[in-house]
Amino acid sequence: MIMAVETLPSTPPQSDGQSSSKKPIYEGSTQFRNWRFSAAQLHATRTSLNAGAVAAIRHTFEANSPGSSSDIQFLTAEEEILLVKLYVTKITQLCGHFRFPEEVEATAVSYLKRFYLKNTVMDWHPKNVMLTALFLATKTTNHPISLEAYTSNIPRTAPSDVLDLEFLVAQSLAFEFAIWHVHRALWGLWLDLQDLPDPPSTEKLQQCYDTALQHVRTSRMTDADLIYTPSQIALACMSLADADLAARWARSKDAEAALDIIESIKDLIKGDGTVPSVEVVREIDRRLRLCKNPEKVVGSKAYLAKKEQDEKDAEMKRAKKADLTRKAMEESDPFGTELSTEAQNIAELDEDD
Amino acid sequence: MDAVEKANADRQRRWTKDRKVGEGTYAVVYQGREAATGRKVAIKKIKVGQFKDGLDMSAIREVKYLRELHHQNVIENLNLVLEFLDTDLEMIIKDRTLVFLPADIKAWIAMTFRGLEFCHRNFILHRDLKPNNLLIASDGQLKLADFGLARDMADPGYKMTCQVITRWYRPPELLFGARYYSTGVDIWSVGCIFAELMLRTPYLPGESDMDQLKTTFRALGTPTEEDWPGHTKLPDYVPVGQFPKTPLRELFTAASGDALNLLQRCLTYEPRKRISAREALTHPYFTALPYPSHLSKLPKTASQIAAATRVQEEVEGNVDQSAPGPAVRAAPPNRLKRKMSGDEIGRSVARKLDFSQPATQG
Repeated sequence: MIMAVETLPSTPPQSDGQSSSKKPIYEGSTQFRNWRFSAAQLHATRTSLNAGAVAAIRHTFEANSPGSSSDIQFLTAEEEILLVKLYVTKITQLCGHFRFPEEVEATAVSYLKRFYLKNTVMDWHPKNVMLTALFLATKTTNHPISLEAYTSNIPRTAPSDVLDLEFLVAQSLAFEFAIWHVHRALWGLWLDLQDLPDPPSTEKLQQCYDTALQHVRTSRMTDADLIYTPSQIALACMSLADADLAARWARSKDAEAALDIIESIKDLIKGDGTVPSVEVVREIDRRLRLCKNPEKVVGSKAYLAKKEQDEKDAEMKRAKKADLTRKAMEESDPFGTELSTEAQNIAELDEDD
Repeated sequence: MDAVEKANADRQRRWTKDRKVGEGTYAVVYQGREAATGRKVAIKKIKVGQFKDGLDMSAIREVKYLRELHHQNVIENLNLVLEFLDTDLEMIIKDRTLVFLPADIKAWIAMTFRGLEFCHRNFILHRDLKPNNLLIASDGQLKLADFGLARDMADPGYKMTCQVITRWYRPPELLFGARYYSTGVDIWSVGCIFAELMLRTPYLPGESDMDQLKTTFRALGTPTEEDWPGHTKLPDYVPVGQFPKTPLRELFTAASGDALNLLQRCLTYEPRKRISAREALTHPYFTALPYPSHLSKLPKTASQIAAATRVQEEVEGNVDQSAPGPAVRAAPPNRLKRKMSGDEIGRSVARKLDFSQPATQG
């Protein structure tokens, strides 16, 4: 079966809370429901994350030694984006090295971008997050490799660099692992194009598809997939490759309205699809070393303090629980709780199975 | 506390854990409640830090697909908190006190196909359909559960593993090692479940993978090249003997013609000729008399009745949270449930009346 390209343009979600089988499949996806934003929302999210992190880290610095935060140049939200962008390109390099399929690469890039809508690079450096996102993507897309094989093929990387962050990354993604990809939508478009009355020559189509696919890869550097549907972006990429062909497709689907939407996507890809210059990013990374959250730097004073506090909290929680259990045991009728104990015992037996 | 930790802590506060009900390879299952509504839920606590390759693949698969699938016949997932269901189809089949009407079977199979059609429409293969993965809610609604082996349909030309689906429900193409397959594998499983509902015993209970082929062919006849073109070219093909085709009618004496036709179309050897979930929904079986039973009229196990009573008591303000829970549903492999449901056989209704009984066992 050939996956059809969703009808364009997409209508806004109907928040009736009901699962209706009538709406397009895409609109039931977590991507549509939870991971689509306006450009303004993205900007606001990143700015407030950045401000929150700066305030928290400044506080930690001051607590350690007052006055120490005054001459620190914290990263701006824009600088954070540049750093993340650089690590998007690293995913591509690694995928080439491992010969992972495109799906793995595209998934990992989405994970990395989504992660930094919930976290800042000052808390978690993108290098290890990138490695973790890619490893997680191999599993979620059914291309698992062993952690051993993964880390031993990446210089200066230990299994713990990946494992330590895996749950955090999964959690930041809200365990929403399924990604609807632009390159899949483009594939659907390409199949449709071959069905047009009087289709262009096979060579021309192939050339157009190859060029469009390059634009799809460029689009991964941008926020496009956080704003638009995969099919909208795919059509924009097709239009960048051959505007006339994209328009013919839209007419054949009665979706000419989409042609207006894709203009802004085309601008986004052309404007934001560039790899940041190494010098600029190196400078950002240098400053990041000075302003990253000391609580997340293993071995630092603040890290140890935080850990100690966490352990204290956990200990208190355990003590409280033990207390409750003891109280419950003392107060309950020895004959009254037999049934639930029984169920508990059976449930525990299963552990050995 | 950073944003993610905070959001996580907020989320945790929405639920309370009551008690542990089971444990599987990758998760511990608790029965709990949604704090705001008191709604009963199953909380799956994923084990972290004990697998050398990080988060377990089954956990990832299950979470990935359940986050995407929202349908009345697919188990509902609220962020690793699942709706709590009282029983499953296996327990119902094994409960000898229950009598199934043809209309009941029709209702269960209709709900199974409805849930499956939704999965297939989302390009997701379940790959582990069997009665104990079809959970039954207290209102009688059947829900597909356990997506630990599920995956997206592969593109043509991409291999998938053939080591999926519990043996008795595994189609012959997988037993022959086919690495390219599609929705047909799930349909075969539904066929086996359909037959099991009518027979009240597993239809094709093979003792090994080899015996599974033999059992299948003994029941349905050895496929010929005409029945199933190319099957002798499958990677693990082995001839397992010639068995004649016996009409389904001889075993399923009480089934209607429509029922047998649908069954036969699910258990067709050639996977491409097997009925699709979508087609199955419009099969005459479902529109012929008797109509599928209303949910409220479906046979219920004692545990379901007990659960329903408890809900009633809670409504009346008489909450007894320490009461024995309903039969347990834990992550696979779930021999616990096998044991428990096994015990139910022959114990008949007495279990419902004799409350001292649990205290007398082990």
